[in-house]
Amino acid sequence: MSAVLTDMPKTDMSKSVAPATTKAIAPSKGGRPWTFYVLATLFSLYVLALYGPMFCIYILSFQDIRGGLVFPMKGQSLHWFVDLFTQVRTGDVKGSFDRSIKLAVIVTIITVVVSFLAGLGFRKRFRGDTAVFYMMIGSLVAPGLVLGLGTGLLFQALGLNASWYTSALGAQLSWTLPFGVLVMFAVMSRFDHVWEEAAYDLGAGRWQSIRLVMIPVLAPGLVAVVLFGFTLSYDEFARSLQTAGSLNTLPLEIWSMTLNVTSPSLYALGTVTTVISFIVIGASLGSIVLIQKKRGSSAKG
Amino acid sequence: MKSDRGDIELAGVCKSFDGVTNVVDGVNLKIADGAYCCFIGPSGCGKTTILRMIAGHEDPTAGEIVIGGQNVVGLAPVQRRTAMMFQSYALFPHLTVRENIAFALRVRGMSKTDRLRAADAMIEKVRLTQFADRLPAQLSGGQQQRVALARAAITEPRVLLLDEPLSALDEQLRVQMRQELRRMQQELGITFIHVTHTQLEAIALADLVVVMEQGRIKQAGAAREVYAHPHDRYVAEFMGGQNVLSGCVEKVNGASFTLAQAAPDGIEVPLQARSSINVGDKVDIAVRRDDVALVRPGKELPPGCTTSLPSRVLAIEYQGYFVKVMLDTVPDDEFIAYVPEKTFFADPFTIGDVVVATWATGSALPLA
Amino acid sequence: MQPSPAQTPPRANLAGWLYVSPLVLVLVPFFVAPILVVLLASFFATDGFGGLTPGFTLASYVEVLHSALTLKLYLATIKFTVLTWIFTLVIGFFVAYFLVFHVRSQLLAIGLFLLCTVPFWTSNIIRMISWIPLLGKEGLINQALLGLGVIRAPLEVLLFSDLAVVIAYVHQLTIFMIVPIFNSMARIDKKLIEAAIDAGASRFDIMRLIVVPMSKSGIALGTIFVVSIVMGDFFVVKVMSGGGSASVVSAFYEDVGVLQYPTAAASAVLLTLVLVAVVSLILRTVDIRQEIAR
Repeated sequence: MSAVLTDMPKTDMSKSVAPATTKAIAPSKGGRPWTFYVLATLFSLYVLALYGPMFCIYILSFQDIRGGLVFPMKGQSLHWFVDLFTQVRTGDVKGSFDRSIKLAVIVTIITVVVSFLAGLGFRKRFRGDTAVFYMMIGSLVAPGLVLGLGTGLLFQALGLNASWYTSALGAQLSWTLPFGVLVMFAVMSRFDHVWEEAAYDLGAGRWQSIRLVMIPVLAPGLVAVVLFGFTLSYDEFARSLQTAGSLNTLPLEIWSMTLNVTSPSLYALGTVTTVISFIVIGASLGSIVLIQKKRGSSAKG
Repeated sequence: MKSDRGDIELAGVCKSFDGVTNVVDGVNLKIADGAYCCFIGPSGCGKTTILRMIAGHEDPTAGEIVIGGQNVVGLAPVQRRTAMMFQSYALFPHLTVRENIAFALRVRGMSKTDRLRAADAMIEKVRLTQFADRLPAQLSGGQQQRVALARAAITEPRVLLLDEPLSALDEQLRVQMRQELRRMQQELGITFIHVTHTQLEAIALADLVVVMEQGRIKQAGAAREVYAHPHDRYVAEFMGGQNVLSGCVEKVNGASFTLAQAAPDGIEVPLQARSSINVGDKVDIAVRRDDVALVRPGKELPPGCTTSLPSRVLAIEYQGYFVKVMLDTVPDDEFIAYVPEKTFFADPFTIGDVVVATWATGSALPLA
Repeated sequence: MQPSPAQTPPRANLAGWLYVSPLVLVLVPFFVAPILVVLLASFFATDGFGGLTPGFTLASYVEVLHSALTLKLYLATIKFTVLTWIFTLVIGFFVAYFLVFHVRSQLLAIGLFLLCTVPFWTSNIIRMISWIPLLGKEGLINQALLGLGVIRAPLEVLLFSDLAVVIAYVHQLTIFMIVPIFNSMARIDKKLIEAAIDAGASRFDIMRLIVVPMSKSGIALGTIFVVSIVMGDFFVVKVMSGGGSASVVSAFYEDVGVLQYPTAAASAVLLTLVLVAVVSLILRTVDIRQEIAR
């Protein structure tokens, strides 16, 4: 040992290991490093920019009849909300709203079921899995408008009528399914294969092990897929534009409103759709928390 | 025709995952009904694969697995009437203790009241009654293990398979759970097959210890047989507690032979079961570490000892009831003596002391 | 232990295909077929009134590739893409870094993370419109600047300009960077950072040698999202530039509006090729399937 040390040229030692520089980080004494304050500021600004504009329109939607598109507030009333659902010039808000919710529900159900099955399939390698995977990625990154147009033309060529519950449904699925499957990959990575094996060992069939073990264990993740499916569909625009046929979905209706409505009705619509979104988010997060809670704590003693 | 017997026979069982190398390579073994059998070997020796093939989670590439007189290859785990206790238990995280234990009855379509009653009876047997409504995450390691055991046992399997059941526990709990396993096995009266890499666990529990290396069985026998009479160098070194020496046979005389070694007069070894030993053969012998006595040079050897190997003390480790003395007796190989504490401290050695290592001639064991 | 697909038994292949067959049954008619239709249409001739004449001509490609407008559109699209990518990456990286390495309570970190993701679940169009009361000619920012006396006349570049387009993109898409980067950063073992500090690394060294390399997959994934969305967008450009700017897809939209299907299709095919090239270049650096399933 000592022989090794004396053999080592001394100069090398001092060169290869420089003394710690002043840049080196001192142990934390409980205080925050300067980077914390810089990044905290950046973070706050980001959140402010994220929410600020949205809150502006929520506030402005509660003006009275004199209201305009910019501050300052002119009075307070629900005038523009009433206006939104009664005036003809603002378009068919109620009908499109109805259609969008229905469509989103259908899309969500299909997305959850299909991506759950695909997630099961992708757990093991099979011949051609990479091709299917890349087809999915392609569907995710392809320009929505182009896909929508292709779908529209296809329906036209086949002599089918484009409508929100056929062509637009398919076009939206080509967007929500890849998302759903990707989320499902992340969800299923948390499922230990050995639980399934234990279920088989105890006599469960394939379907029983899915129903009694897999689905309940993965429930929080499946709720996340529901959230994705619903909101991605509810907000989908580019792919629906050429495929929805004669009756608009809500985002299409908003789009046509941005072109010809210049009253706070637009903001009122923003407020209403956001409230819907928040109800869906709240219900989803709430049920995730509920499931976790039921599992995590309780029954002590 | 179903049999309740849990005797197992493995005949020429092979398993390969990639079609090239055999992870399990031609294993033949008979395990009696109601035996406690431990498979032991280093990781990757194929012991877990054998367990999974008996359970029905893998099928052998070749060979037969016979349980109670019935070849079970190709049958589903349930049809084999085996049950597995998984490493780290695989308890269902969303089900309570009671629901976990009742799971097998639930999938068999038993009514809720019936299955919960059966589960409660089992819960009582493993002394978990006050924890019946808890989820696995709220239990200690030992409690989880008891749940896993109860869940596996509730279907009244004829064979219970345990994959490293004690590895997730700390030392103290492990000793405690070892007794619990043995008690459960006697109570249920069924065959237990237990995979482990801990020698102590295997010899403490098993009626039948199976030592494995690279997919093959090296030795199978009663715990004492395997520990005290290892077949070969591998088993002797793996099971521990033995010094292994090798050398050439100098002469063969009647019931013993002499091994040429550093010892002035060679090492005299009884022939025992081995008969075909010729002068010039290279032979391994084993001497138990607790059979080795150390005497100061010039002192008389204890009665019955003929071998004397002069050595230097390299290191000393105090182990409580004995003292582990490491010696340079054999070049390039370790040679250790376990000296009882009282003997050692009557005349303690220090590192660097020269001693003579010796043992009763009859205790040396020739290896294959 | 995982056998490669070539050695999997036929039964496993069949089971795999059964599970993914619903996915395939949706993607073939609604992704593969429409793309093929567009490809086919790009080779057709047009009668100028919206009618398509089946045939095979490269005229549309020649027209698109010779048009000076094409170059302009691509330059504009690339400009928007690069600017948006830089801003979303920088903001997304540091926001994720802050959440993972600076927020000490894990519960708080998750709470703040959710705070960032909530707007993602609300309507994009509405979020875009919401810039009007801020950036407009009489909007809050102009009012504030006038009030402070910084400017004399309201700034018109704020809304309906390229600046507004980039602001709207960054506003909508930063979340697509934060989520994957946060995910990969959260998996970095904090002990690695401590080991680096032990070895005398500065903050910059830690960032450069540990955090960035280990977040690479998150960055790649976020980049795929941001790049493909910006390159495929027409809506933000149209609304936020007030019609003043155009991108490849917004021009495509105009072409479709005047029933110029073949040229529109040709430019769409070219754009898709560019997009595929960019995405597969990124995919080459990271196996996202492995990454997500980790």
